[in-house]
Amino acid sequence: MVKSKIGTISAILLTLSIAVSYITSSLPRTFINETKSAALLNIIYITVVVLFIIILFCKLFEKFPGLDLLDISKFLGGNILKNIVGGFFIVYFTISSSIMLRNFCEGLVVVYYPLTNYIFVILTFIISIYLVNKLSFNATINTSSIVFPLVLLSSILLFCGNLDNFSFRRIYPIIGDGFYNTFILGLKNIGAFGGICYLYFLPPMLKEPQKFKKIAIISVISTGLFILLCVGTLLFMFSFFITADEIMPLFSAARYIEFGSFFQRFESIFLLIWIISFCCFLSITCKFSAHIFNKMFNLSDIKPILNIIVLLIFGLSLLPQNYAIANFLETNIYRYLRIAVGFILGITILILANLKKRKVGDKN
Amino acid sequence: MKIKNFVKNIFTYTPPCSYEFFLPNDFNNSNSKTIKPEINETKNIFASLDVNLEYIKTQYNLLINSDIITREFILNARGKQHKALLLYIDGMIDTQILNDYVLEPLMMRNKNNLFDGDQNRIISEAVTNNITVRKVKKFDLIDYIESCLIPQNSIKQSNSFEKIFSGVNSGNCALFVDTLNIALDIDIKGFKQRSISKPENEIVIKGPHEAFVENIRTNTSLLRRFSNNENLIIESLDVGKVTKTKCAVCYMQNIANSDLIAEVKYRINNLEIDSLLSSGQLEQLITDNNSLGLPKAISTERPDNAVQHLLEGRIVVLVNGSPYALILPAIMVDFLKSPEDRNLKTIFSNFLRAIRIISTFFALLLPGLYVSVTSFHIEILPTELLYSILSARESVPFPVIFEILIMEISFEIIREASLRVPSAIGSTIGIVGALVIGQAAVSAGIVSPILIIIVAITALSSFAIPDYSFSFHLRLFRFLFILLGYIAGFLGIGTGLFVYISIICDMESFGVSYSIPYSHMENLKNTGIILPPIWKREYRSSYLAPKKERKQEDISMKWKFQ
Repeated sequence: MVKSKIGTISAILLTLSIAVSYITSSLPRTFINETKSAALLNIIYITVVVLFIIILFCKLFEKFPGLDLLDISKFLGGNILKNIVGGFFIVYFTISSSIMLRNFCEGLVVVYYPLTNYIFVILTFIISIYLVNKLSFNATINTSSIVFPLVLLSSILLFCGNLDNFSFRRIYPIIGDGFYNTFILGLKNIGAFGGICYLYFLPPMLKEPQKFKKIAIISVISTGLFILLCVGTLLFMFSFFITADEIMPLFSAARYIEFGSFFQRFESIFLLIWIISFCCFLSITCKFSAHIFNKMFNLSDIKPILNIIVLLIFGLSLLPQNYAIANFLETNIYRYLRIAVGFILGITILILANLKKRKVGDKN
Repeated sequence: MKIKNFVKNIFTYTPPCSYEFFLPNDFNNSNSKTIKPEINETKNIFASLDVNLEYIKTQYNLLINSDIITREFILNARGKQHKALLLYIDGMIDTQILNDYVLEPLMMRNKNNLFDGDQNRIISEAVTNNITVRKVKKFDLIDYIESCLIPQNSIKQSNSFEKIFSGVNSGNCALFVDTLNIALDIDIKGFKQRSISKPENEIVIKGPHEAFVENIRTNTSLLRRFSNNENLIIESLDVGKVTKTKCAVCYMQNIANSDLIAEVKYRINNLEIDSLLSSGQLEQLITDNNSLGLPKAISTERPDNAVQHLLEGRIVVLVNGSPYALILPAIMVDFLKSPEDRNLKTIFSNFLRAIRIISTFFALLLPGLYVSVTSFHIEILPTELLYSILSARESVPFPVIFEILIMEISFEIIREASLRVPSAIGSTIGIVGALVIGQAAVSAGIVSPILIIIVAITALSSFAIPDYSFSFHLRLFRFLFILLGYIAGFLGIGTGLFVYISIICDMESFGVSYSIPYSHMENLKNTGIILPPIWKREYRSSYLAPKKERKQEDISMKWKFQ
């Protein structure tokens, strides 16, 4: 499926591109809603926790060089476990992209297309993904390598452009609603690093599999910094009571950027970049889902499956009756799904596989 | 039947049939970190003609090199016959001079070469006690040939192959004679074809002013003269069952990737066509199709540009009858480079490249962005500008999409018309076009003045693109973005751009990713994003996987640091 292997930088940018879509939709709002003025502290804390998890995760992968989670599942429980795990991830990727798509499109409708039915906005994305699915996986990877620097640039511009509007006192009280809310309940925000799920399937695709650990660690740190940048912009700009009400919080922050009297209100430029980045996310999810399907059933051509996945995403994104339900699904259900599949399922399989490997090794 | 086929096409699964070729992308080729000495070390000429011939065959790859000629003959000198050999490059020598003043005096029997006097010339003679002592100078065949047989003004003797080959590469011919370990470098440079003209479409200020012509042999000789190296291989291939058009595949044997060479030859050799009349046709026949219509080969009329690419490790294909050379493979950034870039100071070249990238952006997206901003995202415009746009559009009865399509299509018509009419009335078309676009349309209230500015900037931007085919692609896809912008504003443009970038990222030209260097950031050397100073251009483009990675040492300006 992957014509040529993925390089180290491309792999890092790939995982970052996935994180971007969460960040541009509702993630900063969730952070600020739940941890209030301690949002930044919470992000640093979460990043450190995820860093430890990722180091463990790389340690567990060490005994299976060049293998992905499906291969390891096969080693652990044969084809049955491999198919079950693959099925879980396909469901997770499909649901995640459809919920995110629905929310992002609802946001677009509210902001720019109030007279347009959201189905048409969703269809625009679906058509573009359908067209891109005809291309190779490398096309998607390369596209995300081109697009992510633009997103990063836009976020830095967002931060710098709003410096005048910042009030750094908003980080006080620094512990927010207290230790328990920030550090115990705040652990739920670990789902912000959902992009690491994709790392499970990267090792066989990498040009230099020995750099997997480096890729994973840099991805986590970069994602943490990126979230910090975006959430910091919002936290310093708005009171967290206002931020909680915004549909696309970063878009609201972009509205306040001014460079003199001529360059004002270019939030739509930011939206243009985020739209492209969101398309990248959708495309990556589709391609990974199809890749897993291909590994499960060893197909000669995955393009028809890609079309089915796109249709599934379209259908699932229409299921929530309104924006409130879609938002509820994203902030309350989907984040736990991310934790369950991304962290618990993956690491459990890795630990069990390591135990089995040790047992097999001892016997040998 | 047709409906049945249509239904079948939609619902029947057809397995993908794709042809794939990859260049090895291991950019860390440790074998070529430094400039290695040439494999062909300096050697002296052998006494045996057969050994010399073998050596020439190896060095010049005579089995595949189509324009290197070796002419074996019998040389007559002083009534004796010697085996001899002439080495020259077809197209670089004057055949008339070769025949009349080299071959004829050497081969034909005449007074000079039939003279069978004493082989040894007596320098002095002394008689002592009835014994005659003669001091003689031994007969020297090579001196004799040089001074008595060949009536040419410029002849040099040399015992080194390097010097002889250098002369041959620059258009001389070399004479080897059996039993002699010295060869003659005879100056018979000349072209029999029509004179080489100035480039018409790739004009540079500080570079050479020579262009390819229609004759393939003249073009190969131009490549030879610029490269001046025996490692340049020119292979001749015939294409077309009816026309049997001569094509030349040119590459530097010690630089270009062997897989790439084989792939180019494979594609040209496997063309089942009746006729081939131009390099444009060949380009379409040997490159992969792409839905965007982007060019995948650089087309140049400049031999210096072609040689520059040859030395980078690319392959040049010449077609007889076409004054353009195809350079393979080509990536997107190549179409934003101009041959002038290398002649200018780095800072100016990079400035021009930045201008061209901005021009590409404008040529493709400016009208689309204008439509989407005026239709969906008015808030982006400063209030004063918004007022002026609205007041300008007040008298225009059409929607913005109609207005912009009228202007863009009119502009394309004028451009096409000015290309097709005889050059004498070309300027008239320009004046008519300027009047129609510039004044009459605004006065008639068909379009707004601001739109004239948008269309003019777009048109100028498309002219700033050095490559005609690439500019053509931008002109066409501009319309798509206009439609997308009108339908869905930035959402349409954004999704359209995503598909557009993805297609570009998926494209390959002879195994090289088309989007390099923007999408592949690993271990790339000499990427082409920014042109480094001339002393820092140490590496060849690594995506071409050349045999020799380095092209100059770390310190190239040794005069400064010694």
